[in-house]
This record gives sequence, structure tokens and C-alpha cells, in this order.
Amino acid sequence: MELIRFVIGELRDIARTFGLTLYYVFRGRWHWAPIVEQMFHVGNRSVFFIIVTLGFLGAILNFQTGFQAMRLFGDTSLLGAATLPLLVRQLGPTLCGLMVAIRVGTGIAAEIGSMVVTEQVDALRMCNAQPVDYLIKPRFIACTIMVPVLWVIGTTTAFIAGMYVTYWSFHTIPATYMNFDLLSFRDIVEGSSKAVVFGMVIPVIAGNSGFGARGGSEGVGWATTQAVVNSSLAVIALDFFIGGIAFLFKTGGGP
Amino acid sequence: MIEFIEITKAFGGNRVLDGVSVSVQKGQILFIIGKSGAGKSVLVKHLVGLLRQDSGQILFEGTDISNYREKDFYEMRKRCAMVFQHSTLFDSMTLAENVALPIRKHRGVSRTEALTLAMDKLRLVHMDHMADRVPGEIGDGLRKRVAIARALTLDPAYVIFDEPTTGLDPVSAIRVDRLIREMSDRTGVTSIVVSHDLRSIFGIADRIVMLYQGKVLLDGPPADFRGSQDPVVRQFVNGLAEGPMEL
Repeated sequence: MELIRFVIGELRDIARTFGLTLYYVFRGRWHWAPIVEQMFHVGNRSVFFIIVTLGFLGAILNFQTGFQAMRLFGDTSLLGAATLPLLVRQLGPTLCGLMVAIRVGTGIAAEIGSMVVTEQVDALRMCNAQPVDYLIKPRFIACTIMVPVLWVIGTTTAFIAGMYVTYWSFHTIPATYMNFDLLSFRDIVEGSSKAVVFGMVIPVIAGNSGFGARGGSEGVGWATTQAVVNSSLAVIALDFFIGGIAFLFKTGGGP
Repeated sequence: MIEFIEITKAFGGNRVLDGVSVSVQKGQILFIIGKSGAGKSVLVKHLVGLLRQDSGQILFEGTDISNYREKDFYEMRKRCAMVFQHSTLFDSMTLAENVALPIRKHRGVSRTEALTLAMDKLRLVHMDHMADRVPGEIGDGLRKRVAIARALTLDPAYVIFDEPTTGLDPVSAIRVDRLIREMSDRTGVTSIVVSHDLRSIFGIADRIVMLYQGKVLLDGPPADFRGSQDPVVRQFVNGLAEGPMEL
């Protein structure tokens, strides 16, 4: 019962922060300096992490799929064509979202949490600067722009890493691997939609955890952990729901 | 005049304020004292809407602000400023920009105009020569002075000081005390000071309210505290380790 009350409370707080963020995004003034600074933090500082993670993922995916394909059919010529839609619409945005939740979400929660416990957020309120407008909005806009950019970079890296692994392991030449026939426009829409939505929810969930920090460093640590857990869960759950909606659009609800 | 009437506030199962009633007269320097965790900061934060009471009433110049919403407090915060315990200057801004922030946000003036006004306030606390420095480059005592300048930017009628001398060396602490006294004498601003610094309390207070176990234990001028026979007050005023005061 206590857990259900806690979850409902968390969801209500996140929904409130999300609503306020949208209000300030559409109604408030945009100050580009902090937005660009946050875009640098989200994009430039995460790109190496994303390239390494998605690179290894693309390599493993193609090796394991190719290994099974060789056992079943003795042919890996369609490996690139088969893995590309999976990377674009599923693994690319989800892994990017999870990496950003870990790399960026923790930073947001720790920074805002520290500001809460040292009363800087109260000081902002006393200066008539709304904490959501001042702290969440720039991060929300930055993540909404940069997560799709990271998705493109990450997915491209995974596909290219897969190409090298396929060439070295199964001697499939790059020209054969680079087959885009099975990639549809719907896959790109689904993948990019996920990336945009993940970019929107991660800073809100992480920021909300930061606002909930109490006490001292222990409270900041707890808020940071909560930010990673909540934003990772949100990425996985939203991946499922957006995937489901895309499936309904694709099939019209039929099998 | 400000009146806190029967204020109660609990965090989880811990009742910090249990029916506290305090009035603040205009132009006074009122000290709210008590041991750490007595609810001093909690009480004053209710006045500017940073915390909401569980029950009780707060009257600000005759207006009941107990049920104000966040945006109702915008106007209040122009008239009642607060200097926080940790100074709370923003690290990414220069000292002048820190002081200019409330001017820009509350009055919506241009950056240049706000910085000019900020320089006047920094001059008031003798910090104008360091206006271009960032908070990380100066000590705690100087940061506190800048925080006071920021609180004064909108010419408030009331200023709340939350432990203004905690963590400061004796010289810096005396300078901060002197600044509060000067400010009160020169501009007639009402000061509510949360503190457990005995030297400050008996140095500049006009009136003192002591909180203990969630209630007001004693309310009166400094002389009443010096002459009090209450064992808890005597222990606090004399700074004794042994006595009836709970840990």
C-alpha cells in the first residue's frame, strides 16, 4: 500500500513538473545562452559514450545474428538489411535514451539536488525566478534537440560497426551489407519519435528527483539514484507504448 | 506588523512547530533563537511562502497570507527579502549579476539598468570593488555581504536573516552584525534574525523570541533573557553543556 502511494505521488509530481515545463516552454521567453550551454553538456559530452556503447552493440548484434543465419541458412547477405530497421526504430533510440538517462539524468538530479539542499532553489524563488523555468526548461529544450541527434550518430555508428564485424567474421562485403531495402519511412518516424519523447521526459524526471532532494549529501545521492531508476524505467515503458502505437498504425490493429 | 498565530508544522512524524505565536513590530531587530532543529528557520520561511504551515494563521500588515498561492507571494517577496544561511549566490554569475537578478526578475528592467542599480547596493555593503568577481573567488564573510546587498535590491520593508553569522570568523561576524544594525537605523527596515550566536543576540537585538520544543519559551527584550530564572533559558544564554535542555 505504501509503495502504491509512493508511486502515485511520484507520478503526480512528475506530471506537474512536466506540465509546468511545457507551460514555460510555450509561454516564457527563451534565453539561448543557457540552452546552448546545456546542448553542449548533453550532446558533446555524451557523444563519445554513445558511440562506444552503440558501436559495441552494433558489433555484437551483427555477430550473433550472422552466427545464427550461418547455422540456419548459410547466408549473411541480408544481415545489414535485417538489422538496420531494428537499430533505427528500436535499439538505437532505446539505448541512446538509457545512456542519456545515466549520463545526463544523474548530472541534472545532482546539480538541482545540490541547489535544493543549499537553499539556492529557495533563493531563486525569492528572486522571482521560477525554478522550473530557470533550471528545467533549458535542459528540456537541449535534450529534446540533442537526443535525436545522438540517436542518428549512435545508430549510424552501430550500423557501421556491424558492417566491419560482418566483413571480418562472415566475409560479407560492405556493398552487400549496405542494403536499405527493408528500412521504411515508418521505421524512421518511429525511431525519431522515441528519441524526441525520451529527450523530453529524461530532464523532467531527473529534475523532479533533484527537486525532491532533502537533507544533505545523502539526500542528493538518493535523488541521483532515483533519477536514474525513474528515467530508465520511463525510457523502457515509453519504448513499449510508442512501439505499440506505431504497430497499431502500421497494421490498423490487425495481426 | 507581522503576526504568526498558532502556527503548527510537522515533517513526517516530527512536529517542529506546535502552536507558535509571534508578532514582529515595524522597525525592530527581532532575534528568533533556540538550539539547532528548534524550528527557527522553519518558522520564518512560512512568511515568504517557502514552507506552508499545517495549521495557524499568518498576518502580514493586516492581510491574511495563510492561504496564498505561489504567485500571490511574488509581490510579498519584493517587500520581504531573505538572506539565506549559505548565502546562496549563484556560482555561474558575477557578484554584480547575482545582485542584479532580483531587479531583473521582479521589475523586468534591462540588464544594464539592473547592473547599475546592483552596483549601488554593492557600494552599500562596501563590495562594489569586487563586482566582477564570481562567488568562488571570495570568502564566506564577503559572500554574506553580497547576499545582504541582493536582499536589499528591491528596498524591502522586512529582511529575514537566517543565521547570518554562522561559520564566519569573529571579525566578519561583527561586520555583518554592524551592517544589520546600520541598515535598521538608516532605512528603518524591520529585521528578523534567526540565530544562536550569543554575541550577535546580545549585541544588536531589540527583542528576542526563544523557541523550545516547538513552542515559544520566552519573548522579550535582551534584559529579560539575561535576568531569566528559567533553567532552559539560563542554560542557553550561558552556553552551558549541562542542564535540562534536550539534546
